[in-house]
Amino acid sequence: MHIPDGFLDPVTAGVTYLVSIAYAVYAFRRLRAEKGRVELVTPLAAGIFAAQMLNWPLPGGTSLHFVGGALSGILLGPWLGFLPMFLVLLVQCLLFHDGGITALGANLLNMAIIDVLVGYAVYKLAPQRYKVFGAFLGGWLGITLAGLACGVEIGVSSQLPYGLAVTVPVMAGWHAALGVVEGAITSAVVSYISRRAPHLVEGGGREAA
Amino acid sequence: MKLRKAYLVVALLLAASPLFLVLSDMVGYHEPLDLAAELLGLKDLSEEVNWTPFFDYTVPGLPPALGYAVAGAIGVAAVVLLGEALRRVLK
Repeated sequence: MHIPDGFLDPVTAGVTYLVSIAYAVYAFRRLRAEKGRVELVTPLAAGIFAAQMLNWPLPGGTSLHFVGGALSGILLGPWLGFLPMFLVLLVQCLLFHDGGITALGANLLNMAIIDVLVGYAVYKLAPQRYKVFGAFLGGWLGITLAGLACGVEIGVSSQLPYGLAVTVPVMAGWHAALGVVEGAITSAVVSYISRRAPHLVEGGGREAA
Repeated sequence: MKLRKAYLVVALLLAASPLFLVLSDMVGYHEPLDLAAELLGLKDLSEEVNWTPFFDYTVPGLPPALGYAVAGAIGVAAVVLLGEALRRVLK
């Protein structure tokens, strides 16, 4: 769901840049004050970057790759969890032109903010007995809402009067369907890590219970 | 340590990436965003405004499958460099 250059109108591009910059500034301030587990940012970012390269070869062709924002939020929380996604999206944009430079704000908003926050919140709210399902639900809902937001951004950018009516159902519907795979991967990784190293899970690992 | 294990996973994912490139090309991989953009007639300007030699995970002079994995390794290296710089700022 990396929006390329050419899809967003200047207003949408500008507004999403401002929102993402504001979130980044706030996250950096909190992290400087709180001293989080910054050493986990780089390995998680490297893992998410590599996982994003594996496009799922689903029959029919309409498919996705793992995004990982929810995973980042579950493992590192809403502020630190922004950073791996920020690194991934920045490198993808600058080195590989995967995601446009004009759309970097929107791509950060969708995948480094919305996906991260939704994943974190859903996992955090899940009862202790259902954390594995909570991770699945967080991964699924995170990518679905990120897809929905992406649909809204390109829909309002369109010159067509019915832009939103076209993009929102397509984006939300497909991401809700394909997001099951994202949920499954998120849940598998979180349950592995919470068994092997529960202290690494921010959004309510066993130690937080 | 645990973090070293994470990089082993990264290496495995990169090693598998050419296979995924070939398979996803075979099924005609496209994302929901491409479908939505097509319905709206939005135009992707990436190629026209491109600035990078590694456009779309290719490496000049290498065949696509190999280039994809090499591009992945370059990307991971860039992520690690930036991540370590960020860590110093936040420590």
